[in-house]
Amino acid sequence: MVLVFVEGVDGAVDDVTAQALTFARRYAANEPLEAVVVGAGGREAAPALGAEGVATVHVAEHEALDAYAPLAWARCVAEVIERRSPGAVIGAGSDRGSEVLAHLAALGDLPLAANCVSAQAGDPATVTRLRWGGSLLEEARVHGAVKLLTVAPHTVAIEDATGVEATVETFTPVLSDADLVVRVCERIAAGGVGMSLAEAPVVVSGGRGVGSAEGFGPLEELADLLGGVVGCSRAVTSAGWRPHTDQVGQTGTKVAPDLYIACGISGATQHMAGCKASKRILAINKDPEAPMLASADYAVIGDVGEIIRAIVAELRRTRGA
Amino acid sequence: MAQVVSALALAAVLAVGGTLFARRARLLLALVRMGKPTGIDRRDDVGRRVRAEAVVVLGQRKLLQRLIPGLMHAFIFWGFIVLAPTIVMAMIGIVDRETTLPWLGEQGWFALLVDLFSVLVLVGVVTAVWIRKVVRPRRFEGSHMGEADLILALIAGIIVTLLTWHATRIALGLEEYAAAWSPVADTLSGLFGTGTVTEVVERGAVWAHVLIIVGFLTYLPRSKHLHIVTAAINVFFGRTRARGRLEPLRFDADVPEEEMRFGIGPVTDLTWKQSVDAMSCTECGRCQDACPAWVTGKTLSPKLVVMGVRDHLFAHGPLALAAQDSGEPYDGPAVAPTSVPEEMVWDCVTCGACIEACPVSIEHVDHIVDLRRHLVMVESRFPAEAEPMLRDVERQSNPWGQPQAERAAWAADLDVRVLAPGEPAPEVLYWVGCAASFDERARQSARSTARLLQAAGVDFAILGPREGCTGDPARRMGNEYVFQARAAENVETLNGAGVRKIVASCPHCFNTLAHEYPDFGGDYEVVHHSEMLAELVRDGRLEPRAGEEPITYHDSCYLARHNDVRDDPRELAAAVGRPIEMERSGKNTFCCGAGGAHMWMEERGTAINAERVREATATGASTLAVACPFCTVMLDDGVRAEGGDMRVADVATLLIEAVEGGDEAAPGQ
Repeated sequence: MVLVFVEGVDGAVDDVTAQALTFARRYAANEPLEAVVVGAGGREAAPALGAEGVATVHVAEHEALDAYAPLAWARCVAEVIERRSPGAVIGAGSDRGSEVLAHLAALGDLPLAANCVSAQAGDPATVTRLRWGGSLLEEARVHGAVKLLTVAPHTVAIEDATGVEATVETFTPVLSDADLVVRVCERIAAGGVGMSLAEAPVVVSGGRGVGSAEGFGPLEELADLLGGVVGCSRAVTSAGWRPHTDQVGQTGTKVAPDLYIACGISGATQHMAGCKASKRILAINKDPEAPMLASADYAVIGDVGEIIRAIVAELRRTRGA
Repeated sequence: MAQVVSALALAAVLAVGGTLFARRARLLLALVRMGKPTGIDRRDDVGRRVRAEAVVVLGQRKLLQRLIPGLMHAFIFWGFIVLAPTIVMAMIGIVDRETTLPWLGEQGWFALLVDLFSVLVLVGVVTAVWIRKVVRPRRFEGSHMGEADLILALIAGIIVTLLTWHATRIALGLEEYAAAWSPVADTLSGLFGTGTVTEVVERGAVWAHVLIIVGFLTYLPRSKHLHIVTAAINVFFGRTRARGRLEPLRFDADVPEEEMRFGIGPVTDLTWKQSVDAMSCTECGRCQDACPAWVTGKTLSPKLVVMGVRDHLFAHGPLALAAQDSGEPYDGPAVAPTSVPEEMVWDCVTCGACIEACPVSIEHVDHIVDLRRHLVMVESRFPAEAEPMLRDVERQSNPWGQPQAERAAWAADLDVRVLAPGEPAPEVLYWVGCAASFDERARQSARSTARLLQAAGVDFAILGPREGCTGDPARRMGNEYVFQARAAENVETLNGAGVRKIVASCPHCFNTLAHEYPDFGGDYEVVHHSEMLAELVRDGRLEPRAGEEPITYHDSCYLARHNDVRDDPRELAAAVGRPIEMERSGKNTFCCGAGGAHMWMEERGTAINAERVREATATGASTLAVACPFCTVMLDDGVRAEGGDMRVADVATLLIEAVEGGDEAAPGQ
């Protein structure tokens, strides 16, 4: 029997879960498939999971389990393992799936292979998994009576399953206060601000040529007007003018905006590696020899502060602000 | 009767001391024997090894790099060699005060030497105490000071008892030679009469002398002073040449499982050389003083790394041996982070200043790279910002992920031959390297070199898109897999093209091609562009116009220290300007901060490049000459950060300007 850990089903099964279920069906071959769902809403998930070929859905119900608590969730899965002795427990390699299975491995001293892209059941089981943030494929053998596998998201093509009528089995897990020390207490929706550097459509980036931390004021203003964010070069981070999270480059964030405005950035290779994927680059620099200009689509030669202020003024004028 | 009692008492003392010493020695030997084989042959080249013993051990050359502490140590060391026979003499004297060592014990000149060196050793001890208690240099930060105090006290005790014994013997008229041969003991003998008191003091002194020596001997292998035994061994097995070559790991199926290692994880992964390294450290801190990371306030101290390895070896080695004996699998903790903080492991720029400074030939970089190898290949735990570099070296064959197709773009207007597959190899292959191929500032150096080779009429070509990263940054980062994949590919390309001679622009490529690729089937004659250009100038094939510009030359670690290329780039600087040396130059150069894959990591605290630029600026030179693309980028960044106007330029660029300037100045040629 193969047990699938399902994080929760909100109406339909989401892609990452469907991928894990496809992976699990292939792994299980002719063996039955069961699932474990934690918390309220588990019963409602049964039809959707039945359609994925899951014969039995174990639902852990407990007053403390409405909010996510990784260790407590792992205890629930551990109880099902004890009762049903599956040959493998498979979960999606999502943040929660990875976290719960890691706890599970530690609880039961079980072998865990994370980020699998394919697997062959057996003793030992053979798995192929992603290493190095996806740059390396590793072949590994997993030994043990119960093997834990997480499925690397978006590496398995979802396949249709022969649906069955899923039986629901509810149980109340035994939990201690210690299991609930880490849990979700409150959810705060993300505000309108805080667009990430990696996703911003416009990045206004400053280098040493900006001159000081204060010199970034006009860049912030321009970024706001254009609906973008401010980035910077390594020199700026080193000088302590901006945090490392703002750094664009080889050792910072790699960006790919529609427009990259490089202000006072010479364009070292280490920086270019982070911004070369931009659709358009506008360079503002007082040095016409700066390497940045060779990669830029547009260039303005002159004082950064002066030019930015002029652009800001013109934008405000044309927008009638 | 008294003689028999004395002999028995002495035998008992020696038996106890000998047993304690042997028990400890057996453990130390077992720990070394547990070590894995080293990746390079450390028994070849015996001539150079013997010479190292003569120069480094007997000649104390590395110690004498610092005059006062060097002389201090040399006095004590030479003193102990000269005084060694007196140990036997004292033991004979214990049994029968009328007898001495045949021949040598009767020689007046030997008595003079003993007298002289007794004083020198005492001078050494006093100097050592003065250095440790008064001067208190920073290099001792983190060293065990109490242990050193005890050892110095023991040494002083040995000498004081020896002199006292000699003085009483002279007073009692027991010496076979004229008292004038030993002026110090003779002077001291004035304190003693010929009565019973002197007889008792004579017995007391000789017994105290022997007891301290035996005590010293049993304490020795339990202390950092073990180096008395291990240093000479460690020096013998040190690298004799090509010091920048890392020990390769073997991943192939032919490697017996017990020899397989992926760097240093648990104690059982140490090579025997690394164990001897650890047992040789005296905590003198010369490495720490020279380390650019430590000097600029990072966590790393090479001394603390080696001390950490030693602590780990002594704490966990015996457990591993016990497991080995009982046939159980050993699963102990990893050296890093258990005994060496991971931050230290990542701070290293692999510049080798520590190795150069070490008087006992400890090879710190081997330890650090091996610790990295385990963290990267087994634990997958390393500074996140370096991941794109590793991925790009693996996938795109250059550390910045630039398109391979643009590798020859720097030469587009220069009419440089790009060697196509199947074409005959040129006399010299110009290996450009990733930095000079892609980095805008470093390209200057490639363009200059190419134009100089053309001007001198050298038959050369480049590989263009078929040239790949040598894998050096991945290797120094600890990813031996990626390095070996790159090495295999490049060796195949080079061998397939029939390349025999290579000129490399980048000292890191140079080091890898010349000294590391032979481990993977690539044997070429490799020179650095500064060597080749200097030769062309010497041969008159390039004629630069001499200049007056004050130039200070910054030695690249991988040229000056790891590969002994120091004179040729200086010749070039001297040919075009007026050279001024920085304080830390040649073998003692100070890293630019890019080595050890630090070009692709973030630096904390004081920047190494800024420190170096301040030193260069202090010379008053207007040009900072370099011979490495990474030094170019780092130091140029440093100049900008410091707000100076010093020009940073490769020696090739300075040379082409002087050659072309020379042409203009002499149109008749």
